[in-house]
Amino acid sequence: MENKISTDLIRGHTDTIILNVLRQGDSYGYQIYKTIIELSKNQYELKEATLYTAFRRLEKEGSIASYWGDETQGGRRKYYRITEDGETRYEQYKKEWKFAKEILNYLIEGGIENDEK
Amino acid sequence: MMRNNVDKKVQAHVDGLFSGVGESQQLYDLKEELATNLKEKIADYKKAGMDESAAFKEAVSSMGDLSGLVDDMREVGQNKAKQAVYSSMTARISAAGLITGILLILFGVLTSAMLYFMDMDLEAVTGTAIFVVFGIAIITYSGLTRESSKKYAMNRVRAILYAVAIGLVAFSLFVAFTTGFATGEVYIAISSFMIFFLVGIGLWLGLIFTGTDRRKMVA
Repeated sequence: MENKISTDLIRGHTDTIILNVLRQGDSYGYQIYKTIIELSKNQYELKEATLYTAFRRLEKEGSIASYWGDETQGGRRKYYRITEDGETRYEQYKKEWKFAKEILNYLIEGGIENDEK
Repeated sequence: MMRNNVDKKVQAHVDGLFSGVGESQQLYDLKEELATNLKEKIADYKKAGMDESAAFKEAVSSMGDLSGLVDDMREVGQNKAKQAVYSSMTARISAAGLITGILLILFGVLTSAMLYFMDMDLEAVTGTAIFVVFGIAIITYSGLTRESSKKYAMNRVRAILYAVAIGLVAFSLFVAFTTGFATGEVYIAISSFMIFFLVGIGLWLGLIFTGTDRRKMVA
């Protein structure tokens, strides 16, 4: 992870990232953590602290729901699944992201045509 | 033995993270979630070639800053009303279970008594005691999944296993009396008793030796 992506840049998208993982199937904390690393092609690690805080927030707003798995060896896993509300939110966030990406591109890479004289 | 050592270190670490935070069912659940995931991460690091203490250190330090979660939990611990909402559903389910269990036991005892006074054969009298066996298992499950003022609710899978263990022990007694009275031979009673009793006790012991402490700290 040499080319570090700024945490500030990604913070606002934590929820979307988690929803995207859960959209593809129920999962539990550590598995989600690993999936995010994998999705970023090993360029980004979302810390567990951030992850669990997001779980609590997403569950409170009804985007995800949790249930306990029935493993006994090494302890139970708490699984999360995306709700219908969560799916809707994900689609909304994705739309907003696509829009923002376009605008930011203009703002960061765009040049002003200098045609005054 | 090694495995237990890691488990203990993880548990101690997680407990330490939230030391001084008011207890709640949510905190108890979060700690279990964190501990399970940490153990898995440590196991992965070890598989990648790290030794145990290095794996533990790395896993713990890579978790990031948990102070937000700690604050969140402190708030939950202080808010008794929130806790009540959180646990009221499970409390109701377990209350229904306790009532069902007690009624089943009474039903079993009363029908057995009735048959006894009808001068039925003894094996018929003990036969209806099967309701008592089911009642005991249901009460065990409901009692363990209930959050009390002193203890947290046990997780459901463990509670089911406990219910099965105690149910088996009760069932072994039931089988012993029923087959004993039916055949009139004590050795048959003992031999059929033995099978279920040993399995039940074995399961029970297994659960006792792997259990985590559910006692609440006394404030």
